Amino acid sequence: MRKFCIYGKGGIGKSTVVSNIAVALAEDGKTVMVMGCDPKSDMTRNLVGRRIPTVLDVFRAKGPDEMKLEEIVFQGFNGVYCVESGGPEPGVGCAGRGVITAADMLTRLGAFNDLEPDVVIYDVLGDVVCGGFAMPLRKGLADDVYIITTCDPMAIYAANNICKGIKRFADRGEVFLGGIIYNGRSVVDEPTIIEGFAARLGAKVLGKIPMSELIPRAEIHHKTVLEYASDSEIADMFRYLALAICENEDRTIPEPLSEAELDEINEEIDVLMREKEKKEGI
Amino acid sequence: MDGGKFFGAFRACSGIKDAVVLAHVPVGCNWGAMMLKSTSNQPDIRQACTVMHEREMVFGGENALKEALIHADKLYDSPLITVVAGDASAMIGDDIEAVINSISVNLKKEVVWMDAAGFKDNMRKGYEEAMVHLAQLMKECSIIKNSVNLIGFCPDDFKVHADIKELKRLLNSAGIKVNSVISNCRFDEFVNAPAAELNVVMGQGAELAERMKKEFGVPYLEVDYPYGLEGTKEFTNTICEHLGIGCDAEQEFDLEPFKRIYLYLHELYGTPVSVIGDFHAEPIAHFLDRELGFDIEVLAGNEDDYFIFEQNVRDSSTTILFGSSFERNIAAELRIPLVRFTYPVFDHVCMYDDAPYAGFRGAVCLTETILNAVMGFGTKETGTTR
Repeated sequence: MRKFCIYGKGGIGKSTVVSNIAVALAEDGKTVMVMGCDPKSDMTRNLVGRRIPTVLDVFRAKGPDEMKLEEIVFQGFNGVYCVESGGPEPGVGCAGRGVITAADMLTRLGAFNDLEPDVVIYDVLGDVVCGGFAMPLRKGLADDVYIITTCDPMAIYAANNICKGIKRFADRGEVFLGGIIYNGRSVVDEPTIIEGFAARLGAKVLGKIPMSELIPRAEIHHKTVLEYASDSEIADMFRYLALAICENEDRTIPEPLSEAELDEINEEIDVLMREKEKKEGI
Repeated sequence: MDGGKFFGAFRACSGIKDAVVLAHVPVGCNWGAMMLKSTSNQPDIRQACTVMHEREMVFGGENALKEALIHADKLYDSPLITVVAGDASAMIGDDIEAVINSISVNLKKEVVWMDAAGFKDNMRKGYEEAMVHLAQLMKECSIIKNSVNLIGFCPDDFKVHADIKELKRLLNSAGIKVNSVISNCRFDEFVNAPAAELNVVMGQGAELAERMKKEFGVPYLEVDYPYGLEGTKEFTNTICEHLGIGCDAEQEFDLEPFKRIYLYLHELYGTPVSVIGDFHAEPIAHFLDRELGFDIEVLAGNEDDYFIFEQNVRDSSTTILFGSSFERNIAAELRIPLVRFTYPVFDHVCMYDDAPYAGFRGAVCLTETILNAVMGFGTKETGTTR
């Protein structure tokens, strides 16, 4: 079973990437399961076409002993198994503990043993804010992690922070950094910035998602791009990315950048932004 | 060994004898709190709990607390509910104040709550803070001349009932009325505590006394827990002096029991002993040293490093250990008798034995206990700790 996590700053496109590569892998004949580990619980909406009940919704309503697997796992487009961990309402309880509870319940109810997925993909909240959101990095739940980032300074900062979390668990041999995914929907679209950032981390850029109006269009219709515009170039980009991740064997222990190194990258972005302004005559 | 802030607050709240203590904690903390007081008074079931489980950890414990408050309000005939919020609710950030405010108009009982996350501080601090919270229940009263409050007792202290009875006897015979014993009194006694002319703080509760001084003008003095003849004389004389009562505590002595019991002590002079405990430890060590002629090898408080204490005891020539039930293992390991005198004692009961350790009568009873511990133990080779 191939198991990996997708991390990245909030709003960076994690759910878009996860849902599209899940469909791409399913097209390839694989049994795929995706688990959304964000209390917003909207990752699987484009796969199923609607919001699904979350593990913690059912947990709260029925308790751990009365829950059934079919109440928390739903099949979406191309037969992709979809699970949302869910979480408490904003401002109460502990969402991190919720991720742990949901992962435990999924294992306890036999999701992995009974459904026998070939690929499991975790879509995790924007940052490794606490032990709960680091859960997919532990206990062998995932083999490696892929971080999505744009060229924006805060996205790079978040990616670097996530690498600190990965390093902690990588040092124990629990999980590794598989690579970086570049999202071209940036303030400046310059892949070399992210290639340089990845190189400093000791990783490589595994794929690029260019800016495309097909993505929001598909999402307006609660669909993945692969369903909405299967023959499009952007759909193929997701297919390449899915294949690259699945076949990737490079596993690295990232070396997170210092503040000074991050500042150097920021300066490069600043120069590019000025050049862009000049070109656009602002 | 320290139980953390939760246990201090829990004990303080349990000390209002007709109040309900609602522990907002997971099931294990509640079990622990119940276990440690189980030998003190089992029929005392004023302990309720929200019983936080995984569901409360994820979604927050506010609903569980709300339900528990409503249930406790219905189930118990009591004037007060004290909510003691432990570690779990502090970690997930339950808004306890908001929960209480949202339903307080529908409750028949007064509710006071305290943040008592065990990881935030030690048991002593938990007690002190809880007492200051509870002080908001007190009201201005007319002063009762020559009266005192005794502050620092907990309902699960070893020998608490017998000790209080003995100290009341001593003070009454000196013409002093005991107004309230804190924390071991009814709600109305607690509320009327400011009627005392003087607060006598015995080991803990100084922050409450300071608050009462500021708010109600009740002065206070801090004294050692009165072990032994000298300790008791100092205790009584200090209070009498402060109240301006002429009293010679020495005249209260009945020396006959001491003459008989102290005969046995000749052979024990110079016995090396070690002592560990809360604020009771130093005064009892003083008694053992000053009056029984024992040599104190190791003296430690609950906030000291327990492993260092154990090692120091191992490295010493200690032949009697004074402490709590927690010291059973080290005493068994060293094959020496253990004399239990301080919280927590959960393997001996002493509810109706009427044999205090404090005061003049306590000096005899404590000495007798020590003698029995030694005589009943046999030899170091054959003995087992009991």
